[in-house]
Amino acid sequence: MIEVRDLQVRYGERTVARVPELDVREGECVAIVGESGSGKSTTLLSLLGLTEGAHVSGRVRVCGVDVLQATPRRLREIRGARVALVMQSPQAALSPATRLGTLMRRALKLHGVGGGRVEQVMRDAVEAVMLEHRILRRYPHEISGGQAQRFAIALAIALGAEVILADEPTSALDVTVQAEVVGVLRRLREERGLALLLVSHDLALVSTIADRVLVMKDGEVVEAGPAAVVLAEPSHPYTRELLEALP
Amino acid sequence: MKGPGAQALDVPLRRTLPRITDRLALLGAALLALITLAAVLAPWLAPYPADRLDPVLGLTPPSAEHWFGTDSLGRDLFTRVMHGGRTSLFIAVAVLVLSAGVGVTLGVVAGYAGGWIRDVIMRITDVFLAFPALLLSVALAVVLGPSVTTVIVAIAVTWWPWYTRLAASMAASIATRGYVDAARCLGVPAPLIILRHVLPNSLTPVLVQISLDAGGVILIAAALSYLGVGAQEPTAEWGLMVGQSQTLFTTNWWAVTFPGLAILVTAFAFNVLGEGLRSALDPRSVRT
Amino acid sequence: MTMLRAEGVTLGYGGTPVVHDVSLDITEGGVGLIGESGSGKTTLARAFLGLLTPMSGNIWYGDQTLKKADQRRFRKDVQPVFQAEALDPRMRIGGSVAEGLPRDERHRVPELLRQVGLDPELAERRPHQLSGGQRQRVVIARALAVGPRLLILDEPTSALDVTVQARILDLLASLDTERLLITHNLAVVGRLCRTSHVLFAGRVVEAGATAELLDRPAHPYTLALRDAVPKLGGRPPVARGRTEARPAETGCAFRLRCPLAVAACERAPALRETAGRQVACHRAEDVLDGLSGVREREDVPDG
Repeated sequence: MIEVRDLQVRYGERTVARVPELDVREGECVAIVGESGSGKSTTLLSLLGLTEGAHVSGRVRVCGVDVLQATPRRLREIRGARVALVMQSPQAALSPATRLGTLMRRALKLHGVGGGRVEQVMRDAVEAVMLEHRILRRYPHEISGGQAQRFAIALAIALGAEVILADEPTSALDVTVQAEVVGVLRRLREERGLALLLVSHDLALVSTIADRVLVMKDGEVVEAGPAAVVLAEPSHPYTRELLEALP
Repeated sequence: MKGPGAQALDVPLRRTLPRITDRLALLGAALLALITLAAVLAPWLAPYPADRLDPVLGLTPPSAEHWFGTDSLGRDLFTRVMHGGRTSLFIAVAVLVLSAGVGVTLGVVAGYAGGWIRDVIMRITDVFLAFPALLLSVALAVVLGPSVTTVIVAIAVTWWPWYTRLAASMAASIATRGYVDAARCLGVPAPLIILRHVLPNSLTPVLVQISLDAGGVILIAAALSYLGVGAQEPTAEWGLMVGQSQTLFTTNWWAVTFPGLAILVTAFAFNVLGEGLRSALDPRSVRT
Repeated sequence: MTMLRAEGVTLGYGGTPVVHDVSLDITEGGVGLIGESGSGKTTLARAFLGLLTPMSGNIWYGDQTLKKADQRRFRKDVQPVFQAEALDPRMRIGGSVAEGLPRDERHRVPELLRQVGLDPELAERRPHQLSGGQRQRVVIARALAVGPRLLILDEPTSALDVTVQARILDLLASLDTERLLITHNLAVVGRLCRTSHVLFAGRVVEAGATAELLDRPAHPYTLALRDAVPKLGGRPPVARGRTEARPAETGCAFRLRCPLAVAACERAPALRETAGRQVACHRAEDVLDGLSGVREREDVPDG
């Protein structure tokens, strides 16, 4: 679903992210781990062509589309529909005076889903993230952070996303709520074969959900491999430092 | 740029908008610099003395000697418009300094203190907001006699409550910040907290509002002079000039048009500058 | 004798209580106050700092209520450490650190910065020129300036990167002060607090030795909190009960979220002594016994 080779993101003279290799297959969860300024979020955004003002080189294929060569129109087709981006605080992106149901219906229409199927698609999506159907009648400010995050995922499901790119999706949430959101993401992976690329600073969380891990520091990938191996026998001192920092 | 779907639409739009306002704001700043310079240096730069009468040359159309033409008393309009800027800008500055000074002081106190202090101050602003500026000025003109001072007092009296409201809402939000709580826990007295933390951090939107308002003040001042309760002859003032010459519009268009344009351009310049400041200082447009 | 103590404190804003009848001693060895957002933990902290007056009950400072106590002494004794955002964005670092110092003691700023592990030259900078970890250290230095005996720590590390977080925790642990730590992060409490109080919907639902609570929770909410924390190489975090259920208005506030709720839970449980801790739950014994389906052995954290 995602295939990255020799990705390099530069702002002017400064290289902010360099990723030699990154693959995410169907039903797989790959995590990019690092601290602020490591280039992990930049890497994620570059996969959707969202790094404005940056010079991006290399080869990036997402759902069969060559992102770096694609026209803006082609990019818009995969963004939202086949690839969904879930950020730390989705509430900020929800129009405050619009009910969630209306919002989802509009998004579906924009991507060409209309007519009788709409209600069924919406119901399925909301159920898939374990929200109650009546949440569609609420306004964004009436729901909690965890519900908003799950609604963002539901929106992705409704639009038929095959890949979810998630940037710190749970770090603003309480642990109990985080557990729910992570549970939803795991189920979607198992039941629908969703591919998941997760950016996080939380190694413990990553260790419980990711198949493979990339550790980034100062824009470079310092270690990569199966999660079990990297976290049990880290070879790079920085990975060890991250692990020791866990409380 | 958060959440799925939405970002695809708003990225290109948000990219282009700030650029346009930036250029307009620069234009506004440049215009204002020009107008201020012309007004301040009018006694030295103007081609003729401000009050030189020349009945023979009354109401001549624009020409090489008189760029904007002359008025019915034969005074050079270009000179008058430059001098008029002195009066209009002085009124604007005086009104804004007075009303912002009073308004912001009361506002930050109300916002920081909250409770009954806030309630009392806010009720007072309500009372003043109930006065229509124009009506109050006419009444004041009767009491004080029509003059520039009357205009300043009349506008300032109805103008300050807006700054109180703005400053109060800013200050109330600043008052909940961690650094204000920390200062309280360190035993810093309330007046010092207001001066050191609340005031400086509440000021930005007020400054933006002031530059947006300046245009409005000039318009109202012009309207008051036009109505005859403001500046009086022989003081040059844009609104007064428009008022005196309005009957001549069909026959001698320049006598009304140039002072009117001066009002319009100045108000426009203040507005675009204010908008530019607003978008430049708004964290939402800087970040993300 | 503890320095600061809450006795039957009810707190609220605009007449609506958000903390109900809480009694809590800030004892030696660090006290943790654990809860989710909306649990009332920060409100309680503000009351301990004298920033909020209780609707009923008292905060005791030594043998006097906070209202009657000597404010100057109290302000020197008890200081907050808020999140790193708690710095005036327009003020230089040196100015922020010196805020609590009398004029003739301003020369201590470099020494204070050094004490929290910062380069004294940072005094000339402004907050946005510092990293999150450095800002947090400045916040700590500002509090230490007046020589407090008790620090009220409100989520001091939750906005920081893990490696930075670890170093800030080391710094806090090395300080020679008592502490009340407010957090939603159970792992952090384990390091800094000998005893802990778990707060749900403004009420203490379980209180006791931190190690005991984490090892063998007696309240289903403590259990849910603990099992939601992801553990390195462990099973995925477990979500117990639905978090979106609102606290119940009557009876046990947790019952609408509780997987163990029974009819008896419509009666509000009182805080009572069991297994060496205080707990407010009718089914505490069942939770302690590891009722099948409630807890799994492999979930017990090591250490």
